[in-house]
Amino acid sequence: MSQYCKEVRGHPRSAQYRVYFKNVAGHYISPFHDIPLKAKSKEAVFNMVVEVPRWTNAKMEIATKEPLNPIKQDIKKGKLRYVANIFPHKGYIWNYGALPQTWEDPRHKDSTTNCCGDNDPIDVCEIGSKVRACGDIIQVKILGVLALIDENETDWKLIAISVDDPEASKFHNIDDVRKQKPNYLEATLDWFRLYKVPDGKPENKFAFNGEFKDKDFALEVIESTHKCWKALLHKKADGGDINCVNVQVHDSPFCCSKEEARCIVQSQNSMTSLGVSATRRCQKCELSQPYGSLGHT
Amino acid sequence: MSGYSSEERAAPYSLEYRLFLKNASGEYISPFHDIPIYADKNVFHMVVEVPRWTNAKMEISTKDPLNPIKQDVKKGKLRYIANVFPHKGYIWNYGAIPQTWEDPGHKDQHTGCCGDNDPIDVCEIGSKICLRGEVIKVKVLGILAMIDEGETDWKVIAINVDDPDAASYNDISDVRKLKPGYLEATVEWFRKYKVPDGKPENEFAFNAEFKDKEFATDIIKSTHDHWKALVAKKTDGGGINCMNTTVEDSPFRCSVESAKAVVDTLPPPCESTCVIPTDVDKWFYYQSS
Repeated sequence: MSQYCKEVRGHPRSAQYRVYFKNVAGHYISPFHDIPLKAKSKEAVFNMVVEVPRWTNAKMEIATKEPLNPIKQDIKKGKLRYVANIFPHKGYIWNYGALPQTWEDPRHKDSTTNCCGDNDPIDVCEIGSKVRACGDIIQVKILGVLALIDENETDWKLIAISVDDPEASKFHNIDDVRKQKPNYLEATLDWFRLYKVPDGKPENKFAFNGEFKDKDFALEVIESTHKCWKALLHKKADGGDINCVNVQVHDSPFCCSKEEARCIVQSQNSMTSLGVSATRRCQKCELSQPYGSLGHT
Repeated sequence: MSGYSSEERAAPYSLEYRLFLKNASGEYISPFHDIPIYADKNVFHMVVEVPRWTNAKMEISTKDPLNPIKQDVKKGKLRYIANVFPHKGYIWNYGAIPQTWEDPGHKDQHTGCCGDNDPIDVCEIGSKICLRGEVIKVKVLGILAMIDEGETDWKVIAINVDDPDAASYNDISDVRKLKPGYLEATVEWFRKYKVPDGKPENEFAFNAEFKDKEFATDIIKSTHDHWKALVAKKTDGGGINCMNTTVEDSPFRCSVESAKAVVDTLPPPCESTCVIPTDVDKWFYYQSS
């Protein structure tokens, strides 16, 4: 069913680890620029790039500054970054990732939060039962959005559910989350408020008093970040050091050929490819781990 | 570090999986009968059955010779504890104190219920995630009197002596102070953990209040006395297997060679593991009480 596959380079939980993406024809693409935002034109179904599987801690992100934007582990102060466990939570409490073809522009002050964007694609918390894998591309229904102000930057957090979730048909809007998964939204708010405190940062703040806005509001936020991304790809906005290389946005000045894309990937990585990422359950923690894992989250 | 090691047979998450314990000389022992209850004055041994944040319901098998750790089976299926939101699996390292037994023939004066026929259970609250089969040394801090499906099922609260903060933990009040919310979460966890399987909420004695270290130590001592009677054949253990290699004067004591013979008949260790079903990842949501 997936039109995309992953290609892993380097060892998990190392600074060299990268997850590259290829389309169904086997050509390298950017998960930031080359995966369509909308999955189907009729309903509000979007593609989501999964960065962090639920219940894991490694802070995996789309590398916005690297060509073809592979997923890699964030590094802070020279160390690979792991998000703390804030009791009662274990790691991330949803599958976490981003919507492709969106961008929270740092030179644009958001009217509701009064803060500039965080320079990243818009973030998504996917609340379905299945624990996904890093680099999965899934289709989600948007249910609502939270306006986080993270270190004084606007950092919207969409709430969504995979269209494949066994209970997806029961979820249409943010109120359904309140009803069917009591305390999940409160836990989400708490999580974002506190998650950087163990690293010595202050509690985060929210616009709208931490209230979750509904689907319609969320869809407007998505549309606005999609417009910012279009401007970025057409060189109408200054992206700073964001890498806009892509293979499928043909009217973008940053578009390159599939051969050029292949050269980019090969030159970025001197290590042997581990091939398509397979996962297994780790005996110690029972969480899905990529084959070849050295250490432990 | 404890001198104990483990040996697995067959693949984890299979019906045949067994984890045997060995002593410092590499001889097979029973984690139920052959590990001393006391590691030191006021320090108990604990056999870890379930690492924190995992779901597979692994237990000391009281009915099999040498009592290896194996995965519990219910209605023919390997058992996994459900995730009751906001929790993921077990929220402590979970296991048992060796040389203890909650006698099903004995009605507990505090709970009014008979014992659950198992060693006494421990929730170890330290930071480190221990390994299945690990034998650690713990300080006892308190105890919760759970009544699980009508049986007394004490839950000792303890901390690994090697925990970096262990020195700050000397009684149950320290847990309240230093890990706010943890004891409340523990009660809720035990109250609800079987609800996803269609069972009712569990109940507690003492209004679900945690009793202190002194009380806990008394309860542990009494389960140790029950165990002594069991291995001396003074109490009828029913299907409990009392085979052991170290208990002096136990009519069930056997040689190291016969212990080895038990393990040698079994399938060999296995490199791979079986797949954990994905429905184990489901998170169950209930309104807070």
